[in-house]
This record gives sequence, structure tokens and C-alpha cells, in this order.
Amino acid sequence: MSVLSKLYAYLYLRGFKVWISYKTNAALTMLSWIIPVFTYYFTGTALGNRIVSGLGGGSYTAFVVVGLAFQGYVSSTITTVSQRLRNEQLYGTLEYYVLSPSGVLGFLTYSSLWGFALNSVNMAVILAIGFGLGVKYSASGIAAALIIFVLLLLTSFGIAAMSGAVVMITKQGNPIAFFFSTFTALMGNTVFPVTALPWYLKDLSYAIPLTWALQGLRGSLLEGLSFSGLSNIIYVMLVFTLITVPLGLYLYSKAFDKARKDGTLSQY
Amino acid sequence: MIETNSLTKVFVGKKWKVEALKGVDFKAERGKVTALVGPNGAGKTTLLKIISTLILPTSGSAYVDGYDVVSQPNEVRKRLGLVTVSDRLLYYRLSGVENLLFYGALYDMSIREAKKRAYELLDLVGLKEWADEPTMHYSTGMLRRLAIARSLMHDPDTILLDEPTLGVDVASARKVRQLVRKLSSERTIVLTSHFMHEIEELADFIFVLKSGKIVAKGSPEDIIKMAGMIVEAKLDSNSVTALVERFITKYENGYAVIRGPKSIVEQFSSDFYEIQPSLEDAYIALVGENEQDFRPYQFRRGGAWARERPV
Repeated sequence: MSVLSKLYAYLYLRGFKVWISYKTNAALTMLSWIIPVFTYYFTGTALGNRIVSGLGGGSYTAFVVVGLAFQGYVSSTITTVSQRLRNEQLYGTLEYYVLSPSGVLGFLTYSSLWGFALNSVNMAVILAIGFGLGVKYSASGIAAALIIFVLLLLTSFGIAAMSGAVVMITKQGNPIAFFFSTFTALMGNTVFPVTALPWYLKDLSYAIPLTWALQGLRGSLLEGLSFSGLSNIIYVMLVFTLITVPLGLYLYSKAFDKARKDGTLSQY
Repeated sequence: MIETNSLTKVFVGKKWKVEALKGVDFKAERGKVTALVGPNGAGKTTLLKIISTLILPTSGSAYVDGYDVVSQPNEVRKRLGLVTVSDRLLYYRLSGVENLLFYGALYDMSIREAKKRAYELLDLVGLKEWADEPTMHYSTGMLRRLAIARSLMHDPDTILLDEPTLGVDVASARKVRQLVRKLSSERTIVLTSHFMHEIEELADFIFVLKSGKIVAKGSPEDIIKMAGMIVEAKLDSNSVTALVERFITKYENGYAVIRGPKSIVEQFSSDFYEIQPSLEDAYIALVGENEQDFRPYQFRRGGAWARERPV
């Protein structure tokens, strides 16, 4: 019951009701889900296909559709957590989360869920547009895709916790979210393959969980690869999860301890 | 019950160090309203935030119903409702009842339970007919009452109210005071305020805080007695010095009307007359302005920057 009421509170009341009350913002957000697919579709038909097909990876549209659909989980979760945390810090409402039994961990978890929920709509829209543009999805790879997807959510949660820790210390919300979103879009195998990057950036790209997750999701959703064919990627994602989640939670909790010591739970 | 022993808090910045609390011994009993008064920057909010586990003390101890605020924060939080000073304490896009529902969910209540409690509290604070209105349409007084309702969602035994009538009009302030009185019969209430008539009306016991130290404590009558004989006199405006500045009540035809302890006023004028002292007179005599008005951690309210640079 308690989980249900929290889902109602965080996802419906604080999430959906507040989000939809800013109608222009909601409409523009939905447009921002759609426009990039067409932007990359048209540029891709001219340029991208050469790169991707040269690497033996099928059509650029399929490549970019999967990239955009799942990259959003990283960026929207980090954006949601960091901006939400900063706003609550500014308003003074963060202190009430600290005081409640749900605590700041509940705040992090349920705020991340709102980011996941919002991006799930985004993902469904993008995959549907992709389908309309001729992308064929493979049913046989769905189970493997689901495992990779869950691991992607968990690593995103860990990174969101780290970004929350940074926000608590630096009192900055947007720049952090912007950096993570832009960085992962550029380096995370989202709109062009990692192999197209210069060697010194390629190594850096492999340090981003999204790079591996997208490679696995493309393999499963577009080529129908199963667990065995994607075991390496699943293993790497598992390692990322085991690092990012505990580390994120540790840093997040330390940042709150520091804020309690400094008296900066609410501060401009 | 709340109790603190030799509580200190030192905030340290890159170029400054502020001793916000200097060995505070504070006590608030159940069934009573305990007031914490003092000038801006005296340490009132810091004390409330330490009691509510939001700030860690540097040394000393603090207990709520016997639970240590540092080692048993979760036990303390269960027993505590807090209303802080802020322009934004609620979600403006949500209605009054939705705000309460949200906070009810944070306290592990089911939706049905939270809804029932929310309507009971909206009734208690006189906002039932505005329950479904977005709080962005509420007046300051309504928002303060809703914030009090929120602090009561989990039915805590202890309520901490930081300046509950700040920015609130006279009629709404009266409603808030009635509410505080109603709540105090079964709970431990601590409130801070700069309005001495409010303190006089509500408080059973007063702690006067200045520059992080308790400088006086007692019932309102005790505090008034501490000020000694209060007299009023007229002083030539040109002869006003820094010492009497805080006792000036008004200027009249080139004279400053001063009102303060006889021992001070008689140094400046022999033509004075005794008056019935109020709590405000006693407060001015005991405290006046603070020596430091610096909030290293809170920049929300006006006058937040250093009046005197801290060391």
C-alpha cells in the first residue's frame, strides 16, 4: 500500500499533474521527442548510412532510432533527479523529504521512476516512428533486450545518484544535467557508432554504460541476438551496475551528511 | 519533551567562522508553548533545525522525547512536525488536499488514509472549502496554515514553528495563533517569532537568545520583571547616542521619545515617568539588536548578509 501511495504521489501528483499543468512545456517536450528522429532520419539518409553500413550495422535510421529511444533514459533520469533536487533545495521542501520516513533515498528512487516513466513514453513514440520509417524489430531478441534494459536503468539510477550528490555539493542543477545529456549523446554510441570516433575518444566512450547498452539493444532488437550472443555485453553492464549503484548511493548519502553538517539542505 | 545540553554549532566557511550556538541549554515541555525569541541571526532557526535533525550540532546533545537527534534521527523525525520559514514550502501547482496527500504518502500512509487525514486537517486549519484550489492561488496566511496542516499529517507529538505568522495579515495571524493554542494542549510546541504580543499571548515559557546564547528564560511575567522598572522620557533629538537608539519609540516635535530601563534612561534625562512594561519593553532592554546577523547557510530572507563581519 505504501509503495502504491508513493507511486501515486510521485508519479501522478508531483510528476504528471505538475508536468501537464505547464502545457506549453509539455507540448514542447513531446515535440522534442519526435523532431530528432526526423532530423537524424533526413541527415542519415544523406550521410549516416554510409558510415553505419560500412561497419556492417544495417540502416542508419534503425541505428539512430534505437540510440535516441534509449539514450533518453540516461539523460532524463539524470535531468529529473538533478533538477528536482535543486528545485527542492531552493524551495526548502527538501528538508521535508529528509524528515519523512521515505527519506532522501525514497526521493531519489521515486524521482528516478518519474524520469523512467516519462522516457518510456518517449521510447515508445520513437520506436513507433522508427517502425513507420521502415525499421524492423526482432521479436526473438526481446528477452535479452529486457535484461540489458533493466541493467541500463540500474546504471542510470546509479549515475543519477552521483549527479544528485554533485548537486547537493555544488548547488547547481541544470549545468550538470546538460553536461551528462550532451556528453552521453555525443560519446555514448547514440547517433553515430563509437568506431567513428578518433581512438583517444573511443576508449573514453567505452567507459560509458550507455555505449554498451545501446550496442546490446541494437543487437537484440534489430538483429535478434539472444543471451549467448550478447553475454559479453550483459557481463559488462552487470559490472557497471555493481559499480555505479553502490558508489552512487554512497556519494549521495555522503553529500547529504555534508549538507546536514554545513546546514545547506536548503540554500540558494 | 525537548531538551538540549550545552549545544554548540560552528559554521566554518573559507574565510569565516560563525559560532551560531554557544552552549545552549533549552527545554520544552509537553502541553506547553515554549517560545524562542531573539534578534535576526541569534541562532533560533539553527536550534530548531538541530532539534529537527536537519543540521548536525558541533558539540553538546539534544533529545526529543528522550531520543538523541544525532544517533537516533529516525525516531526523532517520527515524533516531529516542522514548519520552516520559506516563501515556497508547498507545490503551487497542486491543490491544498493534493499537497497534503503527497506528504501523507511520504509518511507511508495509504491514499485513503492520507485523504481522510488531509480533509480532517484542512477542516482544522479552516481551509476545507479551498481544498481543491491550486495553492498558487492561496494567500500567505492560507499557505502558512496549510504548512501547519502538513506538519500534522503524521500526528506528531512535537511541533516546531519557525515564525509562523511572518508576512501574514492580522486576521490570518489571529487564526494561526488560535490554531497553535488548540494544538498545544496535547503536544510540545516550540515557536519562534519577532512579534512580542504574539509571544505574550501564546507562550508559557520563553527563552531569549542573543548571539547564540540564552540570555534570559522564564514565563512572560518573569521576563518582564527582569527588565526592572521601565520609564519613558523625551530627549532632544541631537543628544541621541548609540546607547539609547534601541529604546526610541518615536520622534515628536524635535524630541525622541525613549522607553527603557530606568537605570539607562536616567543617565540621559531626569524628567521621566514610570510606565507599565510590556514583553516588548523587556525584550528591547534585554536584547536589542544582535551583534551578528549572518546566516552562513540560509540566504532566503532579507537582511541576510553580515551586518558585522564575523571572525
